[in-house]
Amino acid sequence: MSLAAEAFVSQIAAAEPWPENAALYQPLKDDQILLSDHASSLAVQAYLRMCNLPVQVACRANAEYMSPSGKVPFIHIGNQVVSELGPIVQFIKAKGHSLSDGLGEVQKAEMKAYMELVNNMLLTAELYIQWCDENTAKEITRPRFSSPYTWPLNHVLAYQKQWEVRRKMKAIGWAGKTLDQVYEDVSQCCQALSQRLGTQPYFFNKQPTELDALVFGHLFTILTTQLTSDELGEKVKNYSNLLSFCRRIEQNYFEDHDKDSITSSTSRLSKGSSLM
Amino acid sequence: MRKKMSAPSELYCWKGERGLPSVDPDCLTVLAYAKFAGAPLKVHKIANPWRSPTGSLPALKTSEDGSLSQPHKIIIHLRKQKYNADYDLSAKEGADTLAFISLLEEKLLPALIYAFWVDSKNYVEVTRRWYAENIPFPLNFYLPTRMHSHALDRLRLVRGDSGLEPGDEAEKELYRDAYECMTLLSQRLGTQKFFFGDFPSSLDAYVFGQLAPLLKVKLPNCKLQQHLKSLDNLCHYCSHILDLYFQNEASDGPARKAPTPREDGSDFDNEPHKRRNQFLSVLVALGAMVGYAFLTGIVSIQRSDPHNALHGRRAPQLAGDEVDDEDGE
Repeated sequence: MSLAAEAFVSQIAAAEPWPENAALYQPLKDDQILLSDHASSLAVQAYLRMCNLPVQVACRANAEYMSPSGKVPFIHIGNQVVSELGPIVQFIKAKGHSLSDGLGEVQKAEMKAYMELVNNMLLTAELYIQWCDENTAKEITRPRFSSPYTWPLNHVLAYQKQWEVRRKMKAIGWAGKTLDQVYEDVSQCCQALSQRLGTQPYFFNKQPTELDALVFGHLFTILTTQLTSDELGEKVKNYSNLLSFCRRIEQNYFEDHDKDSITSSTSRLSKGSSLM
Repeated sequence: MRKKMSAPSELYCWKGERGLPSVDPDCLTVLAYAKFAGAPLKVHKIANPWRSPTGSLPALKTSEDGSLSQPHKIIIHLRKQKYNADYDLSAKEGADTLAFISLLEEKLLPALIYAFWVDSKNYVEVTRRWYAENIPFPLNFYLPTRMHSHALDRLRLVRGDSGLEPGDEAEKELYRDAYECMTLLSQRLGTQKFFFGDFPSSLDAYVFGQLAPLLKVKLPNCKLQQHLKSLDNLCHYCSHILDLYFQNEASDGPARKAPTPREDGSDFDNEPHKRRNQFLSVLVALGAMVGYAFLTGIVSIQRSDPHNALHGRRAPQLAGDEVDDEDGE
């Protein structure tokens, strides 16, 4: 969106209250959604719950194509559609809800930097493991991604997406990395997050912010998803404060609503779709 | 524990210009880190990436581990060799380093790539001209356009946009993210000398590597530069690092223009030789034309007696009087 259009939209957004029928769209929970998409979607859901804004989660096979930027999840509020955590946070801020207003300038800078760290390292690692590791791609990613489609479209779409992701990896310099190096990067990222969190309940002490939502989304998904090997989950489990952080957010924000909503969906994110 | 005496590693990087030790952000990052950590490196400043051991710049040629090319890997290698600028950082500061480096790569680097390689005016007048002038023949016809298409590809893939022409929309978004990033860096730096106190660390190397070209290279079309100049503490920070660690390079810049005639001038301005070459080429061309004219007979000089030509039947011995008589008539 151009800057003028954005300013106009945010003015309109600020005028309306949060509607009852707000909806969040993501790919199909049981069969189609992938690790990285689920992590992003969970992050947005966590953020909305932290702001106390109700939203319905709707699963559609073509969510990726419906989204204005091509990335999931996106929310549909009134007559506006906003995708990805960053713009959603801005949009909600225009409506008057914000979790990071109480932070000082330096803290805001750190928050943004750590959010970029998660995007740059964790999300890229997830994409790498899903699409560039041939084992995982063959057994889990391609079958899941193409499950709503019939032959031959399923093969075409799956390979097209894989090719696109591999090109992106090459452009940012991750193509030359081995799987072990990627796991090492994930470990470093978790170590950084763990050190920043320390013994506090949330990253900026008493109140959760969008950074907490984003970290929760990614770490919870990694911990509860079964891939071809357990190594990714093991890297996160090395840091006990991150584990208790995830548990804390799950208990505070997800358990009072339907308890089964996230736990059941994540346990099914495995190869085949058998319950583990 | 015996320490193995090995030859110092060799670093190949792009050469510099106008007070900068190098024009490429990655090379600057590695150079700055090496200075901060006190690593003894033999630096080769070249303008031909094909001469580097890995085919790209920067490249570090080590005696044991082969050659490395990305700045990230080079810094890890130097750290393993005990040249660690982050030794004194606390665990939290180490975590902050990773986070801010990610911030730089996600928010500032795309805008820099845009400003130097995609924005048409800047690309044509500054970037392409510099690379075309400094890369040796015949690579200077091929490499700048290849680097341009790499940069364009990278931006397109990272942003997930299919339409990344040098138009206003994409530019505004990229620049907006970059302004925010620079403002955040400025706030984090505050009034300190370096990001983590009084001694520089790897984060300083990365920030310096990205900001220094933006500060020093004169771009015709650059709101990014103006924004940077409005953030005083970042400008002072870059100049401070340049003065403290790279003052040899800074003085070499303008002084290098003076000894130009003495150096084998394939890469530099050839002003004194230009005139001579022009004169010689004109001379050669004239000589060729005249020679051709003579050879084919368009112009010919008759060596025969002019009297035979004018008065064919007269006897030769009376030539002198006859001519006079003839001329008198």
